[in-house]
Amino acid sequence: MVDRRSILKLGAAGVAGALVGMPLPVLGAARAGVSGTLFRAVFDGRFEEAVAFAGELRRRGVVTASAGPDLATLWYGDLQARLRRERAPIAGLTDRATLFCLEELARSVGMRVAFRIDHLIDDRGRVEHDPVGPAAILAAARTLPAESGFGREIAVLASRFDWRQRRDAAALKRTGPFSPENKTALVSWAIA
Amino acid sequence: MAIPPGVSNRDWQTALQQFVQAVGESGVFTSDEDIGLYRDAYSPLWEEPEERLASAAIAPTTTEQVSEVVRVANRFRIPIFPIATGRNLGYGGSAPNLSGSVVVDLKRMNRVIEVDDRRHFAIVEPGVSYFDLYRHIQDRGLKVWIDCPDPGWGSPLGNALDHGVGYTFGAYRDHFHSHCGLEAVLPNGDVIRTGMGALPGAKTWAEYRYGFGPTVDGLFAQGNVGIVTKMGFHLLPAPEAYQTSVVTVPRRNDIVPLIGLVNELEHAGLIGQPGYGSPLAARRADLEELLKRPGGPPAEDLDRFAQEQKLGSWTCRLQFYGAPAVIAAHIAYAKDRFTRDIPGATFEDGELLRFPLTQEQLDSVRKVAVGIPNLAAFGGRRGSDGHLWFAPVIPKTGEAVLEAQRVFMDVFARRGGPALISPFSMPATWMYRAFVFLMGFPISRSDVTVNQRTRETMREIIKVAAEHGWGEYRAAPAFQDDVMAAYSYNNSALLRLHETIKDAIDPNGIMAAGRSGIWPRHLRGRRA
Repeated sequence: MVDRRSILKLGAAGVAGALVGMPLPVLGAARAGVSGTLFRAVFDGRFEEAVAFAGELRRRGVVTASAGPDLATLWYGDLQARLRRERAPIAGLTDRATLFCLEELARSVGMRVAFRIDHLIDDRGRVEHDPVGPAAILAAARTLPAESGFGREIAVLASRFDWRQRRDAAALKRTGPFSPENKTALVSWAIA
Repeated sequence: MAIPPGVSNRDWQTALQQFVQAVGESGVFTSDEDIGLYRDAYSPLWEEPEERLASAAIAPTTTEQVSEVVRVANRFRIPIFPIATGRNLGYGGSAPNLSGSVVVDLKRMNRVIEVDDRRHFAIVEPGVSYFDLYRHIQDRGLKVWIDCPDPGWGSPLGNALDHGVGYTFGAYRDHFHSHCGLEAVLPNGDVIRTGMGALPGAKTWAEYRYGFGPTVDGLFAQGNVGIVTKMGFHLLPAPEAYQTSVVTVPRRNDIVPLIGLVNELEHAGLIGQPGYGSPLAARRADLEELLKRPGGPPAEDLDRFAQEQKLGSWTCRLQFYGAPAVIAAHIAYAKDRFTRDIPGATFEDGELLRFPLTQEQLDSVRKVAVGIPNLAAFGGRRGSDGHLWFAPVIPKTGEAVLEAQRVFMDVFARRGGPALISPFSMPATWMYRAFVFLMGFPISRSDVTVNQRTRETMREIIKVAAEHGWGEYRAAPAFQDDVMAAYSYNNSALLRLHETIKDAIDPNGIMAAGRSGIWPRHLRGRRA
């Protein structure tokens, strides 16, 4: 069985990602100054890509939160109270279980997945990106590196995402909470 | 947007307007995006034409709104399907039995009405989750525990109505059994209260469950004669301490006296939920040749292996609650009984935990055993998109466990493919007075053949179980007809009674059509 810790030594450092330097118009409907609208960025600290994702968003002023071993701590201790009062976008780079749980929980406050990009990583560290969402997301996902470095670029994408875009219902409930037998499954997502 | 079956477009549009009048615009959901949220995340029919899908969802905030929604539905004969939090994954999730039904989503009815830690009860609305109730209790420093399932994101009310179960003491972990009084909206919009709640001004609604006259609460559990909008529960007084002790017995046939003794301790109220296992389960690779033998591995060969490897054949984790002195006495008594009755029994005691726990203890304790809801159950699993539970009830004896192993392994051997159980599988022990030989069949979002195979195996194994006198206590909508068909005593007299009641209380058949295999008259005899 593949050990995801051993696979995911895909450090973001030093990678000049295509999206990071990408001018705003190329990001389709992305618009400047929306990074502050993200209420939380959720990451899974077991994966270097997710840590890089969180680091980039923290640098852009977004409050980050670790999914931790029990997502209940994050949802019931932090997110639920605020989101019940007022909905606000959250984004993440996590395992599938975290998104699965957050998607179910977000239904209770009337929020849903706006986009998701599944990252399937084989035992050689090759990454296959599978996006679902608005056209801007599909286009951006095509430029993601097939190895390390995508976490930081996803952070940029999330920080610039236009939350007013029409969403694709196909992004809802796309996978279950578990990884396939022979690959490590990470997923970038936004819920709004 | 889908239209409910048998409803004209004109009536549907009018009904939607009236639903909006009942609950407000923000409480009516009709877009594909909104309705997609109510798909069963573990559906064994994912993306197939038979997948059970809602047409719309309505989210009332009060019993009065629920009543009005039901009246509108009745007026236009629109099928409705109530959910509390809709999280019974593996048993249907938030999707209806009948495609096109309108989901009545009770998530916005999320008030904890009352918690009393002198008389040990709570009264809650359907949208209250175990986490909400736990926090309510903790924030106020109340001296009561909840008993929660795993994961704990569901609703105490919804879980009880689905005959859900938990992890502490028998009287509390059977969640419907621990309920006491309920309020429900009938299909004609009328609101009833059961037990003492039927007596205006009574202060004992959540303490004495029967009130006066026949008890009807059971009709609302796994049933379809109303929408429950409030429910009382008995709660466990917060114990001072908790400790485990794991007993290990050396021989395969020790399973018979082991279960017999544990039953005695549990039914006498000395222990909470027991947890059985086998150290040999982790050594299956070493036992491959033995396991291939026709008829299964001989007990004496397994015993020899266990002895050589210095492993036991079976273990049981015993859970003790109460004052430290009481726990010590109960552990001493249990050890004395096991030592006398099962030669070679050994014990490993856990740490005595006094409440409140330290953070370090909280991080390591099995949370559900001490009434703390969590979501850790989703971590670390691989290989499917979810699972479908097969949950047959079997007797609480060692003989029954060994027979169930043989019978179900035969099914897998006959059908080919990986078996979900082995000669070391043990049943779930949530129920107080019976075992559940639980198995999780894989489902897939992308491979229809996986789901087809799972459905075929489920249907076969339900029949095989019934031939041996084992029926499921709970099932996903796709199999509820099959399960109900197995409860066939006297030409399915029980189902006929259910249908008589259904016709009398819900003549238009709007309420949760098909739940538990109980269909309204106009849909009877066909599957959704």
